[in-house]
Amino acid sequence: MKRLQKQTLIGMRDQLGGYAWDDAEISELVDPRLGIITGFQDLLDQLEVLRKVDLESTPPAADIATP
Amino acid sequence: MTDSLSFASIGEITESLRNGEISALQLVDLYAHRIDRYAEVSKAFIAVDLERAREKAAAIDAEFDASRALNGVPYACKDLFDVEGMATTGGSRVLADNVASRDAESVRRLDRAGAIFIGKNNLHEFAYGATGENLIYGTPPNPYDKTRLAGGSSSGSAAALGYGLCVAALGTDTGGSVRAPAALCGLVGFKPTFGRISTEGVIPYSWSLDHVGTLTRSAADCARLFAILDSRPAVTPSVALTGQRIGIPETFFFEHADSEILDSLDRLMNFLRAAGASLKPVPMPSMEFTRSVSLTVQMPEALSYHNRYLEQRGELYSQDFRAGLALGQCLLAEQYIRAKRFIETYRRDMQAAFAEVDALLTPATPVIAPPIGAVELTTDGHTEPAGNAITRYTSFFNMTGHPAITLPCGLHSAGLPMAAQLVGRHHDDQTLIETARLIEESYDFELPFPTLD
Repeated sequence: MKRLQKQTLIGMRDQLGGYAWDDAEISELVDPRLGIITGFQDLLDQLEVLRKVDLESTPPAADIATP
Repeated sequence: MTDSLSFASIGEITESLRNGEISALQLVDLYAHRIDRYAEVSKAFIAVDLERAREKAAAIDAEFDASRALNGVPYACKDLFDVEGMATTGGSRVLADNVASRDAESVRRLDRAGAIFIGKNNLHEFAYGATGENLIYGTPPNPYDKTRLAGGSSSGSAAALGYGLCVAALGTDTGGSVRAPAALCGLVGFKPTFGRISTEGVIPYSWSLDHVGTLTRSAADCARLFAILDSRPAVTPSVALTGQRIGIPETFFFEHADSEILDSLDRLMNFLRAAGASLKPVPMPSMEFTRSVSLTVQMPEALSYHNRYLEQRGELYSQDFRAGLALGQCLLAEQYIRAKRFIETYRRDMQAAFAEVDALLTPATPVIAPPIGAVELTTDGHTEPAGNAITRYTSFFNMTGHPAITLPCGLHSAGLPMAAQLVGRHHDDQTLIETARLIEESYDFELPFPTLD
């Protein structure tokens, strides 16, 4: 997987719809400086590892069953 | 009437009210005085409604109904809960004018049980963050050390109890936001089985992970509140420490933690063994990516709720929360679904673990209350953002939905509380609370009240 580029996210913002985050906020995702959220690139790298795990037919978690 | 009453439990307060040693109105006045006295330092409240509290207290005094479990007990709630006629701000400028037209379900239940609502507690904006830092309403400091965090996101709720400004408080817990601040402030924090306490009338952060929880001075008080808040019929569990099978996670939960916290857990384990419990190692699922899984669910859900405000009021959000929401927009739908499938695997793994044990025991947090302003913490060679450290041992159980309670278990040499966490089976909430109460009743450890002045 290639490293995330700011232009990719700008393209998503402009072409896929959704809230119009300003360029500085998109920069924060690519080059985090606030120290609050996990860097988006790190998150994507981890999600890519998880993507390769075979979950077979496990469904998404839903409500907790009542006994 | 002395200030020591302000650190009394629900049980003690209720007894004093029933005996006529104090009136409900006197009690409200006591807390009103303290709220005013400590407002500047504690930053615990965003708004108070003492007029309403005094009216209700006067009505209770005029016709005291001892059958109501919480009659005359003053409490507060995190400012995510709707209270009719008051703004539910979420600790944000975005909802400064968001006046509620009715009470949240939990507020209604406490009201019916006779509890007296006194005010709305400060929080990390919209519950986004475990440090409890809030640029608008201030950052509640730890009652044991004002240079340290109370923790969050239910920071004001923990500070309100810690500074003796109410008897109990409601909070929300999406990754540990009730349990962690309770642990850092020497209180008992409880989140039930997912869905067991209604979230109706509570501003959501992440629907899949949000739990309404309680902050109290004791597990006994927690039981009293949960009996009222529980959406299911009350049961009285028969629990003894003798014969309890306590699971000790083999991995993750005792790693990279403060050594004094680990020592305090060792002492608690020795106590449990001496009390007749059997302790057994429990294998845990891989925790390597659990925080990422949680974040992948949290942020798209948070964005989906806040989307309604972004166009008109987007500039009123704090910078860090906006960054989180932006991340939520850039995740793919399949990544969100996959994260929820991983959560299902965590639940199944934990269900298997609970076939062998009655409860799990872990430290509540790997760290004591961090200094206000700390960005990163390093513990036993492991460096991480402060908020991640605070909730490192709690957030997993928001995904699995198991009930969990944190309870104090000692005082660190730095003068700050340390705490343990007990986790129970789904819908075994009362048993879990009762186990904590039994520990509280007989486990001897040092945790003095904070010195405030």
